[in-house]
Amino acid sequence: MNHPIEQEELMTYLDGELAANRAAATASHLERCQECQKLAAELRDLSDQLSNWQVEQSSPALTNNIAAEMDKYSGQPRGKFAFLARRQTWAWAGGLSVAAFVVAILIQPRSTSQYGKIDFARARNPLPFQIRDSKANTFFDEVRARNPMIARTTQLTIAVKDFAKMRPLVDEILKRHGGYLGQSNISSPVDSGPVLEATLRVPSDQLDAAMAELKALGRVESESQAGEEITQQYVDLEARLSNARNSEKRLTDLLRERTGKLADVLAVEKEIERVRGEIERMEAERKNFANRVDFATLNIKLFEESRAGLQMPGSLSPRLRNAAVEGYKTTVESIVGAASFLLAYGPSVLFWTAVLFFPARLVWRRLRRHLLNSL
Amino acid sequence: MLEFQAGSRPAFEEVFARYREPLYGFFRRRLTNRERAEDLTQETFIAVIRATVRYQPKALFRTYLYSIALNLLAAERRKLARTAPATNEVIENAADEVLWVRGALRKLEPSDREILMLREYEQMSYAEIAELLRIPINTVRSRLFRSRLALKCHLEPEREGVKCP
Repeated sequence: MNHPIEQEELMTYLDGELAANRAAATASHLERCQECQKLAAELRDLSDQLSNWQVEQSSPALTNNIAAEMDKYSGQPRGKFAFLARRQTWAWAGGLSVAAFVVAILIQPRSTSQYGKIDFARARNPLPFQIRDSKANTFFDEVRARNPMIARTTQLTIAVKDFAKMRPLVDEILKRHGGYLGQSNISSPVDSGPVLEATLRVPSDQLDAAMAELKALGRVESESQAGEEITQQYVDLEARLSNARNSEKRLTDLLRERTGKLADVLAVEKEIERVRGEIERMEAERKNFANRVDFATLNIKLFEESRAGLQMPGSLSPRLRNAAVEGYKTTVESIVGAASFLLAYGPSVLFWTAVLFFPARLVWRRLRRHLLNSL
Repeated sequence: MLEFQAGSRPAFEEVFARYREPLYGFFRRRLTNRERAEDLTQETFIAVIRATVRYQPKALFRTYLYSIALNLLAAERRKLARTAPATNEVIENAADEVLWVRGALRKLEPSDREILMLREYEQMSYAEIAELLRIPINTVRSRLFRSRLALKCHLEPEREGVKCP
């Protein structure tokens, strides 16, 4: 006979596990098919035979042992602190810690390699460096052997009580330490007291002393220092200067020793003139380098503390508008910053997550199985 | 179980009363030693009590209970394999037909036998067995059918000595 159902389906039907649409067809077929009726009877008989194996009742002592364990359980944490006992809580905490650790490792080397470490202690006290007119090659070696040439820049913001007395005091400090005023600007904003912004040039070895005296003028609001190493630039400049001088000497010799057409003589003189101009430009640049090393740049900003914020602004709307624009800019910058961070570190985090996920899951499952077995 | 988790002792007493004998039967049919079967039944309930705070109702409680029981059973079998690998089963006083059934069951493939016993004695659905053993439901069905045919063959007296599928 042709069977529209398989034997496995018949078994599934007898077990009550067949889907309703197939169950109806199976029941209908079973009524007609003697072969399937025989199989169904055999399967039922098998279940009957298996059900003959009954086991005895368990011992009453089991109840007492379980009751004792339940008494112990009464002391376990419940309620709002029960989450501390859940494995998932600790798994999440552990996972987040690992992720934070990985991110910290990924970030740390980037920041140091990108910006490097500035040795402020060395920059603060460079050895006195004097420019000498010597032969370029020996000078080149000497510069390399010396300590690096560092141009120091310092920013200082100071709130003072009596602004009117400040300017003479700053001049006195500068005079005492052999410095000079590079640039100064005094302004009187509407919503605050007068402000002095000045660029001071102070001998590098006097910088710390001068700064200490300036700080004593009032309350220091901010202070920052930077050191730019210009040794390489200086050495390059010296090499180019030396080459230009040699060229000048050769051209001068040529002009003196050789004779030729007037046009050639004029061409040599023109070339000498060009080389001399170049030499003068480079010497000026070299003096500027020397000046930057010998004299530190000190940008100070002095403002009167007592008057700050006493005068009300003329109109509130520009300030609100400015604040709105500032808020918009900050929002955009934060979005761009977050996107940059995700683009910079996202792939690495995803990569390490993918690498660590399966080993971590394997370890976790084994640990869980071990814990379960040890209970 | 959730009521017990919230602190209701009678809730667990009800759980214990409902599953005590089925769980004991589970171990008793799979182990030869009655005391060990009782010990493991007790250990299963103790494990449930100790893990109560961590319990989350992801599946049926019965599946959860039997998954603990299966793990304990696996550990017990590993221990027995290390300590007494070749001990023969102690012949107990039992009806001939029961001994015949036990002998036939023992001839089945271990994985097929487990599925058949979970279905026949623990009355589990195909889905429960699949979840408990972490295998697809179609695999449960095909193996169950295969084990039933094999058991039928082993139980036929006239087929003794003849190789069954």
